Order: sequence, then C-alpha cells, then structure tokens
Amino acid sequence: MSSRSSSVPTSMGIPPRRRRAVAQAATFLGTVALTVPLLAACTTGSTTPGPDASAGDSAKFTIAIASDLDTVDPAQSTTTAAMNVIDYGTQGLTVLDDKGSVQPALATSWDVSEDGKTLTFHLRKGVKFQDGAAFTATAAKFNLERLLDTTIKAPQRTPYTVISSVDAVDANTLKLTLTQPAPDLVKQLASTPASFISPDSVTKDGNTYKNIVHPVGTGPYAFKEFKSGQEATFTKFNDYWGKKPYYGTVVFDIVPEANTRESMLLSGQADMIVSPPVADLKQLKANSSVSVINAPSVRTIFMAMNNQQPPFNDEKVRQALNYAVDKQAIIKNILGGTAQVADSPLPVGLSGYCKAGAYPYDPEKAKALLKEAGVGDLSVVLGSPSNHYVQDIQASQAVAGYLSKVGVTAKVETTDWPSYLANITAPLEKQQYNLHMLGGAAVGLDAQTQFNLLRQKNWPPASTATSFYTNPQVETLINEGLVETDQTKRDADLCQAQKIIWNDAPWIFLWTQNQILAHSSKVEGITTIPNEKYNTISARPVK
Amino acid sequence: MRFAKYLGKRLIISLITLVGVVLVLVLMTKLIPGDPARVIAGLNASDQEVARIRQSMGLDQPVLIQFGHFILNLLHGNLGTSARTGNPVVGEIATRLPFTLELAICGTLIGIVFGVLLGVLAAVRKGTWVESVVSALGVMGISMPVYWLGLLLIILFAVQLKWLPVAGASTVNSIVLPAVAVGVSLVAVISRVTNSSMIDVLGQDYVRSVRAKGSPERVAVFTHALRNALIPVITVVGLEFGTLLGGAVLTETVFGWPGIGQLAVTSIQARDYPMVQGIVFVFAIMFIIVNIITDVMYTVVDPRVKLHG
Repeated sequence: MSSRSSSVPTSMGIPPRRRRAVAQAATFLGTVALTVPLLAACTTGSTTPGPDASAGDSAKFTIAIASDLDTVDPAQSTTTAAMNVIDYGTQGLTVLDDKGSVQPALATSWDVSEDGKTLTFHLRKGVKFQDGAAFTATAAKFNLERLLDTTIKAPQRTPYTVISSVDAVDANTLKLTLTQPAPDLVKQLASTPASFISPDSVTKDGNTYKNIVHPVGTGPYAFKEFKSGQEATFTKFNDYWGKKPYYGTVVFDIVPEANTRESMLLSGQADMIVSPPVADLKQLKANSSVSVINAPSVRTIFMAMNNQQPPFNDEKVRQALNYAVDKQAIIKNILGGTAQVADSPLPVGLSGYCKAGAYPYDPEKAKALLKEAGVGDLSVVLGSPSNHYVQDIQASQAVAGYLSKVGVTAKVETTDWPSYLANITAPLEKQQYNLHMLGGAAVGLDAQTQFNLLRQKNWPPASTATSFYTNPQVETLINEGLVETDQTKRDADLCQAQKIIWNDAPWIFLWTQNQILAHSSKVEGITTIPNEKYNTISARPVK
Repeated sequence: MRFAKYLGKRLIISLITLVGVVLVLVLMTKLIPGDPARVIAGLNASDQEVARIRQSMGLDQPVLIQFGHFILNLLHGNLGTSARTGNPVVGEIATRLPFTLELAICGTLIGIVFGVLLGVLAAVRKGTWVESVVSALGVMGISMPVYWLGLLLIILFAVQLKWLPVAGASTVNSIVLPAVAVGVSLVAVISRVTNSSMIDVLGQDYVRSVRAKGSPERVAVFTHALRNALIPVITVVGLEFGTLLGGAVLTETVFGWPGIGQLAVTSIQARDYPMVQGIVFVFAIMFIIVNIITDVMYTVVDPRVKLHG
C-alpha cells in the first residue's frame, strides 16, 4: 500500500522516485502559491483612516486601555475608564488638578451663600463648543437638568440630587439652589457626569436626548468616532479656549490583555499603556525606552468583616485580624510595591481625610486579643474577587495565610464579579462569606462616597455597606460634617469619625492601590489624578 | 425537487431549534446569579439609581412575557437594546460580526490548506520520518494553548521582528497573527483526521485498481483517494468553522481583535442579558446554516450520498 517506485518505464531521464519527490514538492509549492493570494484576500479587511490631515499637527498619540467603553455619554458614565476617555472632549464647571484639588474650568470663580444653599458660578467668556456653538449659562443649565432628569440613565447622579434648581441668571452666570449645604458639590462638579455637551448636538450625529453617542464638548480634543471593542479617536480642537495640546490625534485602543498592552508599548504600537502586568514592572522600570508611573490613587482595598455575626461582632476580634496581617509584605511581594498601607478608612486625597491610626504587623498581639475575646481556633469563609482589582485573589490568599498563623483558618472562595457582587450584597441572613475583599474609590474625591460604605442606611440588600457596620456616634458626626460649611469644624467632625471607625475596625484595613501607567520615554508631560485618571493632554515629545 | 423538500424539512427543524434556544435564553435571566442592574450601575451608585435601572431592564417580568417580547422584537427585525451601552443589540453585533467572520474564514483556510497537505503527506509517507514529524506537529498544535501561542507570536513577529502589528484590527495585516494562532490548532486537528482517513482510503480496493491500471501515484492519491478521504474532514471543518463563528474568545482577547467573542464575554461579565441573548441567537442561526451547508457538501464530494429529509 505504500508508494514504491513504479515499474512503469519513463521517457524522462530522472529516476521515478526523484520525479515523484519533485512533483510533490511542486504541488506543495503550488498550493502555497495559491494560498498566499487567498490569504491576501483575507487581509483586505478593515482599515482605519489616517489622522485628520487638515489638523495642524499630524502627530498621533496612542493609548492602550484595558476595557471597552460602555458609553461616551457624560451623564451616563459610570466606569473610570470611560470617564477618562470622555474627559478629553468635555469639561464641566470645575476640574481636578493632579493633586486632586479643585480648579476653575468653565467657571472662573464661584460664590457660596451664608447658609450654603446657593452656589453662584461666574462662567468663562468666549468659550466655544466643538460644533461652533457658544458656551453659555443656558447650555450649562441644559446639561445639569439633563443629568437630574430621571428618564436619563445616570448611575452616578446621586451626588447632584442635592440641587433643587438651576438658573441661568445671565449669559455668564449660573445659579444652583440646593436642598441642603453640600460643601463637596463644587468638587463633584468636576466629575464627568456633570460635564457639558452642546445642546444643539443632541439631535445630530446619531445623538438623541436619551443617549449621546457623539459627545460635543468644549475640551481640547473633539470626539471623532468610537468603534465598539476597537478604538476611540479624538482630534485636536483648534478653537479651544485654553492651552492647545501638541498631538493632533489621540487614539484609545481597547486591548483587554495586559501582556499584549505591554507588547504594544515595547513594539512602539502604543505610546502609553494602562495597568501593565505587575510581574513585569521590574523589567519595565529597567528598560530605558520605557517610563513607569506609579502614582497613588484613592482606590481603597479592604477586607470587610460581617460586623453583625459572631465572633466579628466583637471589636477585639476585628482589631486582632488587623494586627495579624503584614500589609507591607503583601504590598512588596505580591503587588510589586504598587500600593500604600492604609492609615484611615478614607484614603489620602479624599477631602476630609485625616490619619486615623496604625495597625502594625503584630501576630502576638493578634493572638492575645483573640484570647481576650474568648475565641479559640476559628474557621471562616473569605470571599474574594478574581481579576477585578490588581492581584486581588493572590492578596486574599496571602491574607488567609497570615490569618492561619494566629489560629484563624480562612477558606478562600471566589467567583465571577457579578455573582460576587450579588453574594456580598445579599441580605444579612443570606451572607455566605464571613469576610470579603472589596475596593472603594470615590471618583469625585468626596468623603461622602467613601463613608457610604460604612453607614447603616446602605446595608445590603439596599446598597453596598457590606460590613453591616454602624456606630451612632459616627453616623451623627458624618451627618453633621457633610453639611458643615465651616471648613475647620467639618474637618474636625470627619476626622473624629475616621478615628472612631479606625478603632472599631469594621474592616481589615489593607492598602490604597496605586495607578500604574507605562509610556514611551520619548514622551513627557503625562500626569495623573488621584481618582485613578491619567491625563496626556499636555503630553509632548521629549526635546 | 428532492433538494427543495430536504431544505424545507431542515428549515422546519431549524425553527423548532431556534424556539428552544430562545426559551433557554429567556430562562437564563431567571436562573443565573447576579443582579445586572447593580453590576451595570457600579458600586458607588445609590440604591435608587440601581432600582431605576432594574426597572428599565424589565427583568422582573414573567418568562412568557419576556419570551413574547423577544419574538415581537425579532419580527420587527430588532434584538432589543443593550443594558450595558444603551445601543441597539443588532447594531453592536453587526459591527463585530465581520471581524469574527474574517478571523473564522482566514483561520479555517490556513487550517484546511496546511492541514490537508500535511495529512496527505503523512499518509502517503506512512512509516517514514515524515509521518512521525507530522504526527508530532499535530500533537504540539493541539496541546498548545492558543493564549500562550498568541503571546509568543506577538513577541516574535511584532515586538522583536516588527513585521506585524501587535494587536487590534486597524491595519491590513492585523489579521495575520490572529489567523495563524487560530489556524495552528486547526492544522493539527485537520491533519490528523486527513491522515487517518487517507490511510483508510489508500488501502481500499479501488485505489489498488487505479495503481494496477498504471496511473501515476499522484493521480491515485489526489484524484481518487483524497476526494473520498475528505468526507470526515468536511465534518470536522464544518464543526470547527461553526465554533469559530461564535468568536474565538481567547484569540480575540490576546490580540484585541474586536469580534463577537469579546463582546459576548464583556456582556456576560456585565450581565447584559439582551446582548447575550442577541449574540447567542445570531450564533445559533449561523451554526444551523453551517450545518446545512456541511450536509450539502457531502453530496458534492461523494455523489453516492443522498440528502435525506
């Protein structure tokens, strides 16, 4: 059955076996030759148009980001990733600088009434939207009312519901009337949901009042297009009121895999990437063609304990677990140095933050406290997300390891994010974890959002205060502090609240996660804001 | 006439299958854990906002009502609105589907061309080193995780050699590495099937007669044996291609290839039920069509095979 030399006489001088081999080789090569044009037919796929040639500068800045944008409508935005992109094109009354402090943007100054319930904003003059329309108080009013309109899906609307009415006093003056004082509101107005689109644009380019797919703002870059799952493109706005950026085009490439983003940076296909693989940080830092930014953020990672369930209803037990975990070691070995140990329930950078205390690594003290509380060996279930926060499951396993050393056996359980979220927001009697990992980040850098995680009205299933913690004194201090117009008294109230919470230890206070970016060392001028946002608008090639 | 009758029967069966698929898709919203409204709104959203979103998604309605809505929407040519993006499901799928098709077609072409060639080569050179090498390549191809292979391809061809782009779909040759990554395991599978099928066929009496007639070996192999050996290969290709139409999720993730697979994963992670339902429904239709085409192909390759209704 195998092919041997045939006994057929041949008229060619070449021996039959050789002839067969030649024929087979020729067939193979012929097939390859046919395949190439076939594959070429496959490669006449999609292309993107090159940078807008009519823009002044033809240079392009490419950023590789990790997640697809769920929306480009400022009012509907809820993820930091989408907000960061939208921010290139739209602006609000105020903006946060790289320290997280409020700066003027479309409002040049503002006055707060004595009782704190009226805010008057003086608007910047001569500002144009990217469609040529003038920015006026009427446009601002339209946008804020749209944000407050409950027929619009706006998951981040809550901080603004304190506004009872918006008035365009004249073309350049905007008045906000509040139901109660809200000292953090001016800061909140710097957030993406409160940024402005041109009212005229709401009926063009596929936009509807309910859903904006083409945002037209006042920012330095104009939104050009968004291809779902692929990229978002912005081009320089030549009539921008402020300092013009360098790059003519900014492209956000959506690349879910961290290793691939890293390859894009190393090959030059991307100028900047977010969240490189933690394991490769050392190499990246040593690479002279790459610059790594390791900046603090307000993303607070903690282990919420079920404060209503024995033995976690005993403060000594909760404090013991805080002493049991060596946070510095986990940060160094598992997070590659990309976090800061927590010293308060609020992270540095949030308004009202003050240092509340310290729980240094002290397993002996932990064991002593557990003994005092009358707790012997303990078996618990520790819930953790996977691939949601940086090195989350690995850190949870490390925490479990430390707990085992003080007599607490923790079984780590994980599941996909939506199921995990459902588990931790289940009613008290249905909770399946004794403690679980969670991360909070207030994108508006306001204290209220962070405190929400510790208030009884937000206990599951209503909302996300998943530690079922409450302390009447803390509740009073927070209620008073958040509406206090006297900055000193407010800071004092909120600081005292933090110290009490720290002592109560409803969580194992872990760390605040840094924001990691890597960019080409040929570029400079990239900054970050502590709310996990990056800013490349001032980026330019190194001279 | 016979063909029309066959097609008619297949269509009715397909419709019943699709109804079953829709039922499962609607039941899914009740059975799967996780609250879509909270997932989409995010941790910081207040319970009022979450409640509003939950209501707008209509998930608390009974299964039959949801089933009715789905069918009604379908008759109007729309698959509902994505809970995650607020955009029409049909639009999102239409944007992503061409990329998945491109990847599926190119990957399958690579698989067929090199897979069949290597399979024939190994069969014709049975018992020699050629067969061993092809066999080893086959095992490697099937065992290599596509994720790992993809990253290696990127490191070699995109980062070191800079011949090709790392990721994305924005240039003409962006398809090459993803198609190769997908193609490698296809080559492995197809070469093995082709090999064993060819060996089987080459041993048949009619092949011996062709040789005895005095025809060159090339004729025996390619004109007579291969055609018959292809039947199991067509089955495999049909199945693999059909699966690829659902989106090669791992390949798409590694290469940032904007196909349906990535969209499906993102939607599942966001519990975006309307989108997941739409994607699965479209995939079911495509898979059914591919199956019908595969069955028809048999009759082309082997005239003895008749289509049975």
